[in-house]
Amino acid sequence: MKIVAVTACPTGIAHTYMAAEQLEKTGRKLGHGIRVETQGAMGIENALSAKDIKEADAVIMAADIAVQNSERFTGKKIIETSVQEAIKHPEAVFGRLGKD
Amino acid sequence: MTRISFSFPLANGLHARPASQLREACQRVAARVRFRNQRNRTCADADSVLELVASGTLKDDPCFLEVSGPQEHEAARALRIFLNRELPHADDDAPPLAAPSSGSAWLPPLFQDGAARIWPGLTIAPGLGRARAVHWQKSAPLPQRFAAGKNDAKKELRLFRNACREVESDLKKKAAAGQERNAVAIIKAHLAILADPGFRERISGLIAKRKKSAGQAIGETTAHYARILKKSPSVYLRERVGDLEDLAYQLGEKLYGPSQAKARRPLSAPCIVVAESLTPSELLGLERRYLRGLVLGAVGLTSHTAILARSLGIPAVSLPHAGLVRIDEGSEILVDGRRALAILSPGAALKRYYRMEKTTAGKRRQQLALLNRRPAETRDKVRIEIAANIAGPAELGLAWRSGAEGIGLFRSEFLFLEREAPPSEEEQYDSYQQAARSAGKRPIIFRTLDIGGDKPLPYLALPLEANPFLGYRAVRFYNEHADLVCCQLRALLRATAGSGRLKVMVPMVTTVDEVRRVRRLLSEAMAGLRERKVAIARHIELGIMVETPAAALSIDSLAREADFFSVGSNDLLQYTMAVDRGNTALAGLYDPLHPAFLRLLLQVARQARKAKRWLGICGEMAGKIETLPLLASIGFAELSMTPQRIPEAKERLAQLDSGECRDLLRRALRCAEAAEVSALLAEFNGRGASGEVISADLVRLDSSCRTPAEAIKELCDRLELNRRLSDSLALEEAVWKREQTFATDLGFGFALPHAKSAAVRTASIAFLRPARPMRWSGSSRSVVRGILLIAVPENGGDEHLRLIARLSRQLMHEDFRLALLSAPNAGTVLAALRARLAGG
Repeated sequence: MKIVAVTACPTGIAHTYMAAEQLEKTGRKLGHGIRVETQGAMGIENALSAKDIKEADAVIMAADIAVQNSERFTGKKIIETSVQEAIKHPEAVFGRLGKD
Repeated sequence: MTRISFSFPLANGLHARPASQLREACQRVAARVRFRNQRNRTCADADSVLELVASGTLKDDPCFLEVSGPQEHEAARALRIFLNRELPHADDDAPPLAAPSSGSAWLPPLFQDGAARIWPGLTIAPGLGRARAVHWQKSAPLPQRFAAGKNDAKKELRLFRNACREVESDLKKKAAAGQERNAVAIIKAHLAILADPGFRERISGLIAKRKKSAGQAIGETTAHYARILKKSPSVYLRERVGDLEDLAYQLGEKLYGPSQAKARRPLSAPCIVVAESLTPSELLGLERRYLRGLVLGAVGLTSHTAILARSLGIPAVSLPHAGLVRIDEGSEILVDGRRALAILSPGAALKRYYRMEKTTAGKRRQQLALLNRRPAETRDKVRIEIAANIAGPAELGLAWRSGAEGIGLFRSEFLFLEREAPPSEEEQYDSYQQAARSAGKRPIIFRTLDIGGDKPLPYLALPLEANPFLGYRAVRFYNEHADLVCCQLRALLRATAGSGRLKVMVPMVTTVDEVRRVRRLLSEAMAGLRERKVAIARHIELGIMVETPAAALSIDSLAREADFFSVGSNDLLQYTMAVDRGNTALAGLYDPLHPAFLRLLLQVARQARKAKRWLGICGEMAGKIETLPLLASIGFAELSMTPQRIPEAKERLAQLDSGECRDLLRRALRCAEAAEVSALLAEFNGRGASGEVISADLVRLDSSCRTPAEAIKELCDRLELNRRLSDSLALEEAVWKREQTFATDLGFGFALPHAKSAAVRTASIAFLRPARPMRWSGSSRSVVRGILLIAVPENGGDEHLRLIARLSRQLMHEDFRLALLSAPNAGTVLAALRARLAGG
């Protein structure tokens, strides 16, 4: 599958990037194509393009705060989870893709 | 009668220090002076410091000086000059009066458990103390203590005068007995009240006219002044009441025998004294070796009791009245002068926490002492000397204790002012030699007489001028009074014979010829001494103060005659901006950040460098910490400032990188206005420093920390001791607030406490491995073996954030985590962290 994701944690210094790393690692391991946008203290990095989103089969939002520009994802299949979950149980997060 | 109206300029109101200066100024003039406050309709004889202080005058109060006498016009003119030039600066060198700190209302979660009772209060004196509580028994309040006497006015007056004499003699003996410096200052304040004409007249009046006993008269007079002072909106004035009451007790003891206080049991074991209030004498009377701390009722930060507690190093916290009653005698109490808390019966966890704080406090003190002794330099090891401006040998001790590397300005006026005849060569020699000996190998720059028409001296008949600051002053009159100048030079030459080196500088120079003239006077002085076969300094440097625009713009020619230069930024700024710094209406223009002034300073520095002459700066600007980055890059070899600012200046300098400062200067010079420069500085100063995020000191393995509270404290303390933080408490709070939003243990045996805070100077990472794995958040069953603290500044640069983001991602890889958890020593951990930060 082609997956896109956004991570966003309160302070935006560490956990945002850890969650991104976990999602990327796990996604690749499971054989998915994955691109993760981080929203942190340095601003938005690795921003998802309109093309990325259009081609994506699902969107993972691992966030403890409001995600910026979330209207981009209207109409897409969205899996919402916390930053903690993405860090501690990334496989379970991807597991939710199969359901429905 | 001539009336001078003015608006009272000082933030702390008319308290003892400016009142004595005002009194001195009034005594210098040949006229009677009365002070009137138009707002509260009080008036005072300018001869009585107590009456002046009791006027309750506050900042911006409309006031009058009423001058009468045959020479009242001259007197009024001199007083106008005092009011414009000197009064606004009466508090300049006083240590900044911080508001009593109440600590953050927030406390780490650790403080919430256990049976401890925690009372927030105000910090009176810093430090930590833990011991058993002992209640202080206060003697009865003042007015009741003084019995009515038989109505024999003559006898009561005699008793009063005798009591005054005895107390005066006792106090003078105490002052001479080599007491601690602040105790001496307090004793002098008591002596001043005792000698105050207003105080004495009022008491004598009550005895003679109202038939009161000496005791009653003293009691009523004290109460009278205390009432006035207590009503003052100025906290500073309110806090002077303690001195009055202390003195009244002392007089009372002479009249009626030793007070109940003497019957008190002496302290015999370590304790914390709990008291509603304590006079300075009572505090001094306590057995210091057992006194571990104080818990007091409402006590002012600037009261002499507080000042004493601070200088004696006794931790003290003030609690609102009710708190004192609920402390049982003998119960264990902890005084935390940092967080402003009194803690009753702290539990084991809190005790451990405070033991850590005690260790850290000790290390902090050691560091400060080390900083004091080390020469000042920037982060990239560029040396800039930090020296002190002093006004006489009395301030030498303070200068060295503050860490001064030298004396950049030794003002000599103290020897010449307020006397009928000029000081003799011997008298001057004594003072200069004291200074030279005290300095030892450290450089000391003496300034020759800097006086003008604003400070009339009977032996130096300077003409009356409309504008003494653009007039016949300082070097301009040296030729006419050559004898006086030669005398000073001879005294200086002799005084520095021991060290062999004399550095003397001339104020107010505008022409090269002036410098030549002084050189001739110097040769004359040297010749005279050679004739007398008296030893003199071998190495003599004659420098000048750069305080006129003319001098600033002719450094190249002046360099032919002057051996070194020191910028007097106060006057140079005044003349450059055409502003009288005492004129409050123009205060905005007197701003050293004006780009024109900076350009002038830079030009001076460039020319001095070209001419290979040493350049220092000794005005107020040198001590303004915010402008340090600019001064550090203009090219001064030395910054000389008031001693109180020195530790902070050294600390700040150590954080600065000279390349970054030069860059800042370039940008500042492109600004058009002072406000732009100020904004640039604010942004620069608020930024975190650049530099490595990790260092060996920030890695701690095998730590005895058992709980998250201890681990976070240890890590924050480390960052502070490494100068990466300005305040570990602020970071601790920020970290805990983040922690309480979402626990930062991620599984994998790691916790990642982190925060952004204005207290962080440079982005940093610290790593701690506890000797025993610890449970992190209460609910999770995960156990933590490695704790990585991340701290970033408020306006941190992206560069550091990027590094930290990278490191965070790396933590998701098992091999990295294993490396950190199983590394045999700190060096290996450091290497692993550095490698991953660099992208390896």
